[in-house]
Amino acid sequence: MSRPFPYAYISCPCANTPVPDPSKKRRSRESPQKSNPDQPKPLLPIDDEDEQTFDPRSPRANFSLYPPEQLLYCEDCHQIKCPRCITEEIVCWYCPNCLFETPSSMVRSEGNRCARNCFNCPSCTAPLAVNTLENVVTGGTSQQGPWVLSCGYCMWSTLDIGIKFDKPTNIRTQLSKMTEATPVRSRQMSRTFGELKSPLSTYSSIDEQFPPPGETKPAEDSPDQPNIPLNPDARFNALKNFYKNQISATSSSPTDPLGMDFGSGFSSPGALNRIMSLYTSSSRLSSLYGGANKKPKTRPPVMREALTASEGLKVPAPDAEDAVIQRIAGPDCGWDGLASLEQRSFQSPDVRFVEDLLPLPVLLRTKRSKRCKSCKHILVKPELKPQSTRFRIRLIALSYIPLPTLRPLNPSPHATSAVPAGSTATTTTTTTTTNLDALSPLRPVQLLLTLKNHMFDPVRVTLATPSVTPGRVASKVTILCPQFDIGANSDVWDEALQGAAAPTASTTSTSTSTTATTTAAATAAAAAAATDPRGSRSGGLGMYEKVAEAGKVWDKGRNWTTVVLEVVPGTLPGGVRRQQQQQQLQKPKKPSVVRGFDLDNTNTNTNTKSDSDSDNDSDSDSSGDVPALDWSGQASDPRQQLQPDEDVLEIPVFVRMEWDSENQIDNEHAVGRPSADTVKRELAYWMVLGVGRIGRVL
Amino acid sequence: MPPKAPKGEYIETDTGNKISRRSQIHGTQHIILGGKTVIQADAVIRGDLYRSSSSSSSSTNPSTTSTSDPSASAPSAPTPSVAITIGRYSYISRQAILRPPSRLHRGVYSFYPLKIGDHVFVGERAVVEAATVGNHVHIGKEAVIGSMAILKDFAYVLDGAVVAPGMVVPSWCVVGGAPARIVGEVGEGYGVEGAEGGLARERYRVVGR
Repeated sequence: MSRPFPYAYISCPCANTPVPDPSKKRRSRESPQKSNPDQPKPLLPIDDEDEQTFDPRSPRANFSLYPPEQLLYCEDCHQIKCPRCITEEIVCWYCPNCLFETPSSMVRSEGNRCARNCFNCPSCTAPLAVNTLENVVTGGTSQQGPWVLSCGYCMWSTLDIGIKFDKPTNIRTQLSKMTEATPVRSRQMSRTFGELKSPLSTYSSIDEQFPPPGETKPAEDSPDQPNIPLNPDARFNALKNFYKNQISATSSSPTDPLGMDFGSGFSSPGALNRIMSLYTSSSRLSSLYGGANKKPKTRPPVMREALTASEGLKVPAPDAEDAVIQRIAGPDCGWDGLASLEQRSFQSPDVRFVEDLLPLPVLLRTKRSKRCKSCKHILVKPELKPQSTRFRIRLIALSYIPLPTLRPLNPSPHATSAVPAGSTATTTTTTTTTNLDALSPLRPVQLLLTLKNHMFDPVRVTLATPSVTPGRVASKVTILCPQFDIGANSDVWDEALQGAAAPTASTTSTSTSTTATTTAAATAAAAAAATDPRGSRSGGLGMYEKVAEAGKVWDKGRNWTTVVLEVVPGTLPGGVRRQQQQQQLQKPKKPSVVRGFDLDNTNTNTNTKSDSDSDNDSDSDSSGDVPALDWSGQASDPRQQLQPDEDVLEIPVFVRMEWDSENQIDNEHAVGRPSADTVKRELAYWMVLGVGRIGRVL
Repeated sequence: MPPKAPKGEYIETDTGNKISRRSQIHGTQHIILGGKTVIQADAVIRGDLYRSSSSSSSSTNPSTTSTSDPSASAPSAPTPSVAITIGRYSYISRQAILRPPSRLHRGVYSFYPLKIGDHVFVGERAVVEAATVGNHVHIGKEAVIGSMAILKDFAYVLDGAVVAPGMVVPSWCVVGGAPARIVGEVGEGYGVEGAEGGLARERYRVVGR
């Protein structure tokens, strides 16, 4: 499910800890710092690991980026949990069609398909409805006709395969009875279907009637009637039973010393034991696994394969293939008479023709509870009932991490006039809305990033982003106010009663170094934010009449804060190449480092097209942390074609949040300490903001 | 909300419904809007396809939440049967079609009520003939919901999906394709206010401004 622009994905930190090592888990990201004040900070080792920018285009990024609502949060590990770092347990099985629960014991015995009236169309997979054929209204009670399953999507019905039902309930058993027992269909019409009936299937259960191994029924063993085949299900059961018996016969009774190698069966730990002993001849493992392996190896008794039809062997008739081919080539089959591969994949392997397709009982679905993989705590536990949408436990990440939303800041004409020297902004006034599917290269776009806090504690957030997005299409990104506070998600009434007391403990500690790869502009802007933390709370100004200023938050509410991102989309390889070549002819290339972003000049939009080339040079030079490609050789780059989705502008943003949380039960031992009631917490992760797609033309 | 703008795109009712003047709503006396519902331009809502037989006895409280235009004449039935019910904060996009489901039952072709829950999004050019659409359901653009289908709460229909008639989409399931199949599940955080699936209030707020 790809999302429309703009979107925000959050990278689960588990991608940085490839080995599920509990000590490593603890090391990462989050630590209640009060427990070890004298030890070296556990945060230190992650610093070098964070030196590298998260690259949303790297192949591994696919496995760590999730939309925020899919992420969970483990309160014990203090860590975001993605679907890869959880384990699931099935709470209940239910049919997605009738929404009835199936007990798991029944699932184990009967398979995970609905045992009621729910079927899918074998032709198009849409659900089938039970319909009557005759609608005779006779007095009060009406319509006692034969019943069929019919598809409302492709108009397939069981009449196409010649099946009618006597009553509208319990279709599954009726159908299985028909396919097993009743000779409804002629054999020469459909050979494979006719094979479904077999004398054996009159037995209520194959298992009971199965002859003990070694002693076979002479009637079926005789070669003169070689194919009295079973239907596929019965054949599978027969085979399963046969091999079970083989194993039990060839392997040991406990008194049999010869069979010890096999243990009690192939699926038992004894089998594992045997396999292990194949590879380790040393005595260490065998002593570990008990003394059984020390016995001299004896040749295990030979298991034989299934030989008769009653054992599940199916010998196709010698002309079976020819018959199928002839039928395919016949005039009444044609292309439409053949079952497609997709249809056949859900049917028994013998099915070749459309008229052999059987309705498919609906596969069951599950409700699952989820656990943290490392600490085994339950993160999600849904209600047991299939219909219920409630949860007993639901620790979603959205309750803990601020919810990011991104939207373009569409400059009103008034605002753009205030932009000084906005050479490019004049054109944007004509287009009032930014088309995120075709961002023009090198034209600055301002975006509003809103972070909404769902915790009951105020959070201080530090954002960092590489000044240039990684990859070949280098877009420049500046967060105008990378450090800010978000108020607590307190009760609305609390705030109303408190009046103007804003929930911010204003930015006292600016010494908190912005992690990772903050640009110079961003850190300075953070300092600016510290001096005037709340200067930009929106006064009576209208929403879009303001001008984004560096170091000031754009807007702020009870539990959310909006900051402005300024993005200059890069040029696509080959996109504006012609113009640049002309410009390169006109002016010599400047090898000198030109800072793309200047502090005093928040309006970096003054980059005209002419110096875009040098900008690209300078960016690759100045930002050493970005594994940049050689942009100066862009013109001679042989790979001028765009890679798929390379034109998507995605901004990696490092989010670091700090908050003082209430002391929880796990810190009970620290009662005597004065500051025991609050714990400084910290959480950091990467997120990726998908801004839009860069267009080809300037 | 400011006092009635003279000729805005949207009519805002007492209960906060924002209904485009260019929408096509038929049979208003058979439609119940729960309030704060947005109906965009060129959306077609067929309230005139109500169940005509007298056997339906489920016509409930038509008074308070009904947006039925007082000027519209209620000609025939003294107790108008409800054809379409829409909950709060639901959003009917442009050119979407809401049509009560119908089927042939005992030789009689009749319509059944279409119930749409709260916080439902119906995408552009979608055709909805479902029997029930739960809360927080997302119906993508150009999706087709077949007759008598049931979409449970938090179901998500991808763009262009064709949900076969009579299909049941369980909660939290994502369906897509033609015919639609269950292709996945939405995350546990789906429907949280402000996140994916919980944007209905925000959607409502920005309409008509």
